[in-house]
Amino acid sequence: MRLENWLYTIPLRLRSLLLRPRQDAELDEELRDHIERQIQENQSRGMGEEEARLAALRTFGNFVAVREQTHQSWAWAPLEQTAQNLRYALRSTRRAPLLSVVAVLALALGIGLNTGVFSMLNAMFLRSPTLVDPATFVQLCPRYAGWFTGADQTSSFTTEDFDSIRSRSHTLSEVSAWRQYAGFLEPGNMYITTLLATCNYFHVLGIDRPLMGRFFASGECVGGARAQVAVLSASLWKNRFGSDPRIVGKTIHLNGLPVTVIGVVPSDAANYLLSGVFLPYTLEPQLNRAADWLASPDTPWLSLTGRLRPGFTRADAQAELTTIMSQQDRAYVQRKVSAFNRKTALVITNGSEIENPSIRDLAAGLMMLMLGPLALILLLACSNVATLFLSRTLARRGEIAIRLALGVSRSRLAAMLLMESLLTVCIGGALSMVLAYRLPLMILNIMAPGQANFVVLLSPDWRVFGYLAILMAAATVLSSLMPIRASWKLDLLTALKGREGSATVRSRTTSGLIVTQIALGFVLVCAAVIFGRMPGLIKGMNAGFEIHQMLAVPLDVNTSGNNRAKAQVFYRALETKILATPGVQSLAYASLQPFNQAPPEEIRLPRQTKGTGQPASVDDVSDGFFSSFGIRALKGRLFLSSDENSAGANSVAVVSQAFAKQFWPGRDPLGEKVVMPDDRHLTVVGVVADTRSERFGILDGPRLYALRSPSELGGNLYVRFLGSPKPLENAVREAVKSLDPMQTIAPQTIWESLEDQAEGMTAVAQIILVVAAIALLMAVTGVYCVLSFAVNQRTREFGIKMVLGASRAEIFRAVLSRALKNIALGLIGGIALAEPAMLLFNRLLARSPLPLHRFDLTVFGISAVLLATVSLAAMYLPASRAMRTDPIRALRTE
Amino acid sequence: MSKPADLVQGTLDLLVLKILALEPLHGWALSQRLKQVSGDVLQVSDGSLYPALHKLELQGWIRAEWKPTENNRRAKFYSLTHLGKRHLEQEAASWERISAAISGVLRLTEV
Repeated sequence: MRLENWLYTIPLRLRSLLLRPRQDAELDEELRDHIERQIQENQSRGMGEEEARLAALRTFGNFVAVREQTHQSWAWAPLEQTAQNLRYALRSTRRAPLLSVVAVLALALGIGLNTGVFSMLNAMFLRSPTLVDPATFVQLCPRYAGWFTGADQTSSFTTEDFDSIRSRSHTLSEVSAWRQYAGFLEPGNMYITTLLATCNYFHVLGIDRPLMGRFFASGECVGGARAQVAVLSASLWKNRFGSDPRIVGKTIHLNGLPVTVIGVVPSDAANYLLSGVFLPYTLEPQLNRAADWLASPDTPWLSLTGRLRPGFTRADAQAELTTIMSQQDRAYVQRKVSAFNRKTALVITNGSEIENPSIRDLAAGLMMLMLGPLALILLLACSNVATLFLSRTLARRGEIAIRLALGVSRSRLAAMLLMESLLTVCIGGALSMVLAYRLPLMILNIMAPGQANFVVLLSPDWRVFGYLAILMAAATVLSSLMPIRASWKLDLLTALKGREGSATVRSRTTSGLIVTQIALGFVLVCAAVIFGRMPGLIKGMNAGFEIHQMLAVPLDVNTSGNNRAKAQVFYRALETKILATPGVQSLAYASLQPFNQAPPEEIRLPRQTKGTGQPASVDDVSDGFFSSFGIRALKGRLFLSSDENSAGANSVAVVSQAFAKQFWPGRDPLGEKVVMPDDRHLTVVGVVADTRSERFGILDGPRLYALRSPSELGGNLYVRFLGSPKPLENAVREAVKSLDPMQTIAPQTIWESLEDQAEGMTAVAQIILVVAAIALLMAVTGVYCVLSFAVNQRTREFGIKMVLGASRAEIFRAVLSRALKNIALGLIGGIALAEPAMLLFNRLLARSPLPLHRFDLTVFGISAVLLATVSLAAMYLPASRAMRTDPIRALRTE
Repeated sequence: MSKPADLVQGTLDLLVLKILALEPLHGWALSQRLKQVSGDVLQVSDGSLYPALHKLELQGWIRAEWKPTENNRRAKFYSLTHLGKRHLEQEAASWERISAAISGVLRLTEV
């Protein structure tokens, strides 16, 4: 409509809005006036009074319909209809309070779980890590071509890159750099996260007020000064230092380095680090004695964040910084500081993880993995609500039929049913906010006790509300589709005749519902089975080597260049000291760590060229390795100490069974030769049993043990002992400390570190179990509702069957066999859903030691049995009710 | 009902506007006039005139006014607005164009 017309009709529209009852009365008067005039006309043509009236009504048509149609052509009619639909929905909600409560609760649970987890993921991955003026916050993500490995890699910046960006950039008003590092904290004897940061780090993040004390002064980050100061995060201060009000000025030790606490930073704003210590980045060489990254010309180690200068955009910054970095690249090549020729490409992000090219895929995958199962829960809730609504719609079949007969259009009816769903979803959605708000805190409390109270960044933003809106819209549509379809297809004649029993829902609909619910439930039960088994699997597995009486001694020794002689003295002295400790049986070195996957190396047979060999793990071990770890020889011999001293020190190898099987299938491997990646030729002298050292409970692939040269330093030190581990751990720590007071270590048996991992898994498993329990409960109630609904629908059919001679057992079997068929179909559908999910999960966890298979029969089997049992139990009740049908009563209701 | 009759009924709005352009009328009189001018071609029940009238009013093409009539009664009289007059002219012109084009084509096939 043109604006002119619209303006012209404003008075009419206003009147229509404000004086609706009067307008209705006037319409009535107008129509009656018409009929009276027609009667008069008819009478004047000589008809009798009654005849004239009937004729007038006939020519006029359906009075009620005309009035309604005219009414609908008025302004505000759609609004009026919506209000009517809403009133109708409210009435029907009130009429079946129990059903409405169940539907609302199911939806609140489904929506709340989803929104809660999403708001957590939003804070972790999607939003910028600052609360202050996020539009100007940037993170610099470089990608290098032709550096180190030659392949493209995303990485960090070198100190020089940072200095040149800081001094030359005009588009950025401030640039800060940081690097996470593990620090060993004393007092406390534990590893904590340490953030090496520039002195403007907090300012760039938008945090200007410390909780206590002060932040770094700019002089404390100048290369030469090396001020030994630290800022604690509030959660660390609270949990480790008991909220000590006089903490400022005290000295703590990090990796043996004494630092003075100068302040405490409120954790709510420090999104990058929930719990830990902040140090000036210039302290890096003292904290990390193995390498001086700060002075290194070619070690990328710093992540850069900054603030845009007013008037500049991210694109401006990207253009400028790319230029600066390509100049850096040229200077880098000219100075020939290393053999690599790097080319840098730069991406400027808003600091969120999802925009960071190196984390993007992982973050997206994780989000899918967490939100996927929860979406299934919402789907389950929707299908439950759909069942409830469907049964309500069918119970009201008579009423709906009358409405249709009186001239309500089917689309109007659909709008009414949609409004009922929308109302339920809205109430559920409002309730779900409580859950959505509490849930992230609950999850964090389980995952990381003591830190959750500090996460304030979880506050919902437009993304969370957008997600909520999408969920609610989807839930509305999904839960109203089936009732609308049922009422759309309603056969007016049978419904009006009151032959309720003869109009049944198609069995395909109920079967479809059962199959869907079982399939969805299956996926979640699978997840629960996988994770529920995990802690037990970790603790109960047989690794194939000693894990209880084996102590891992983490050392941080600089063995390069000038320090070599000193390191050698340290190691020899330490070995003597440890071997002299009571309880110690032997010690061994290995290059691989158990349950820590290292990339495999290419091993060739003598006549194979490079690139045609096969991958295998290579472990450089000392001669005492096998006896210390308790790995048996199956064939040939193990390393001897004479191997080390003989002329061909490097020429022997011991291989695992799997290695022998892969390289020489069906042949004796003893005496065979293999070629290492560095072209050394080794002769196989022994075969040892396979171990389970890469993934929990899974036999390792091909593995080759090479003898470590006696003059080699470093590697992982293991101590085999007798008796209880605790006193020995202390003894070893003291021994290390007495030789090098700067070495700060926490030795642990392999078993203890496994227990730690299992404990971490238990937390995850608990959450998943709760989610799966909810899903199972929903699936089971869903199956129960659908089936009892279907049985109710078929009461008359059962009655007739019984009258015709069917026995009760036959009825029971008929109901149950169809249900069984549905369960089987649902399980097949569930496997079809679960399999790709497990594939994705596998890909994400490819580097972790968790044992996952793409098609895990045990997991699928346990889940299928569990789900089938539970749903059969849920089906028993309706089926037995069908069996007890009283044929007389069933048929008399007709 | 066959297609051509539907087509004619679709132009009910146009007929109403044209009749009201001659003089303001109330509903019943308008329906009488409609029957008079269109004969039996236009098959509408009297009632279906009212949704159309109210729609035209909301579009701003006609205006309604209660006026007294004979024997102390009052009736709602509809009259054309200036917007309606313009609309009628446009619609009539385009109707002429289309019907001329269609009858041109029909005559072509007859030859």
